[in-house]
Amino acid sequence: MTHDPDVFSAFEGIVPGEERSTSSGRLAAAWPAVLAFLAVLVVWEGLTRALSVQQFILPKPSEIVRSFFATSGVIWGAGLRTLQEAIGGLFVGVVSGVAMALVTTRWIGLRSGLMPFAIAANSVPIVALAPIFNQWFSITSPISKVAVVAVVVFFPVMINTARGLLEVDDSEIELMRSFAASPRTVMLRIRIPRALPYFFSALKVASALSLIAAIVSEYFGGPQDVLGQYIVNRAQLFQFADAWAAIAVASILGIAMYGAILVLERVAMPWHVSFREPQSS
Amino acid sequence: MASAIEATAVGKVFGTDAGRVEALRDISLTIGNGEFVSLIGPSGCGKSTLLRLIGDLVQPSSGSLRVNGKDPGRSRLDRDYGMVFQQATLLDWRTVAKNVELPLEIMGGAGDATGRLATASEMLSLVQLGEFADHYPWQLSGGMQQRVAIARALAFRPSILLMDEPFGALDEMTREQMQQEVLRIWRETNTTVVFVTHSIPEAVFLSSRVVVMSPRPGRVASIVAVDLPHPRDVDTRESAAYFDKITEVREALRGRGVAEAAS
Repeated sequence: MTHDPDVFSAFEGIVPGEERSTSSGRLAAAWPAVLAFLAVLVVWEGLTRALSVQQFILPKPSEIVRSFFATSGVIWGAGLRTLQEAIGGLFVGVVSGVAMALVTTRWIGLRSGLMPFAIAANSVPIVALAPIFNQWFSITSPISKVAVVAVVVFFPVMINTARGLLEVDDSEIELMRSFAASPRTVMLRIRIPRALPYFFSALKVASALSLIAAIVSEYFGGPQDVLGQYIVNRAQLFQFADAWAAIAVASILGIAMYGAILVLERVAMPWHVSFREPQSS
Repeated sequence: MASAIEATAVGKVFGTDAGRVEALRDISLTIGNGEFVSLIGPSGCGKSTLLRLIGDLVQPSSGSLRVNGKDPGRSRLDRDYGMVFQQATLLDWRTVAKNVELPLEIMGGAGDATGRLATASEMLSLVQLGEFADHYPWQLSGGMQQRVAIARALAFRPSILLMDEPFGALDEMTREQMQQEVLRIWRETNTTVVFVTHSIPEAVFLSSRVVVMSPRPGRVASIVAVDLPHPRDVDTRESAAYFDKITEVREALRGRGVAEAAS
């Protein structure tokens, strides 16, 4: 369940700058999605009632909503702790991924030495390491979850950032050479700004991965007051509406992280093609 | 006149996967200070390679090359070269003024931020883009972007301007306008210009001398001196002397073709 196709595409490398939007257009564009979402809920409610679907197969949306508000203190508390693990791991993974990308781009020898291992390690299903990390970092400590998240997030961030750092026009390099610019200057003035779109594309994928990794690593045991354990426990007690309510919290947190990254992206690179207002000329 | 560029028996061989490719053979050429010299020839004649050799972007395989009496590498480190390529190569995340300031920031010249901005404004008015300082590159037309690239290349007052088909991507009207601009800037700044082009009229209109090159391997076929009076303008383009020079360059280019067909 950890690898849906979208997430997996991160490992192939992402070409950024495909989504285009304007502020007024985005609100208008949101309506069909809202309507579709409501329609799905209505059909879901109607079908589960009409076919009397058992709640352990699929609870009614109305039951999930009731549980969502009835247990809100518990599920949001659990969500917050899971979010902390996800963000902690995301931070560690992103910082080390970017550092590794910078180092391997700056020194070609390191690149040829390390990249094959990075790419090989990339195809290891890292979540499978969760039980081992529980041993290493103590099952009761959030560090064991943070570590899983960090390792999961590291590779897409590193590989995509490195790709962005290297994807620079020859003419830009020649131009900088004509200015007798040092490699450090080329890195700061050209490579890093050029890599930003790649970095943010990777970060969007990484944020989704971070929640997945945190919740999955929680399934392997640890404190009970986190989303993963809560979902497992409620499901074992046949309280499926509660489990679904917790899943809703996880989704809301994921969307919130994605939104925060969109804002950050806009602040960091307002110049990018995807943010341009349409030109009349 | 002291010579800005002196090439003696320069050769360049590229080692590729397909084997060795001889790009240039036995190039000897002297370019004087303040001269405007065009390199012209068919694709594969090595004119861009010669420009890159002068600019220390590639190294010669044989012969000797001196720029301002120095090794080209030394000249590059001394920031003797301004370069303009076919693509403007402007940075999207910088305004027009900030793009022009880029070399000054890197070189630490022109004092503080105020000094840099002053130089950038001066260069932008030189290329007649004074009002566009705060625009972003993508808000400008291709011709305007290329002017920004020229302003940037001139910002640190290099003694030599190397231009590699700078107007190749522009439409004919803009192109003629830009040629006029470049001539005016050349006369105002007294910079030595080496200009690569595959357009015969462009080479004749701009240059004091046109170096005609022949391909495989690239050699200097002949050098045509263009003594049309300055300032050159629309009238120059319609003068008989101009057409005569175009014919002379065309024949120099074709002369090679005949010789090759005969061999």
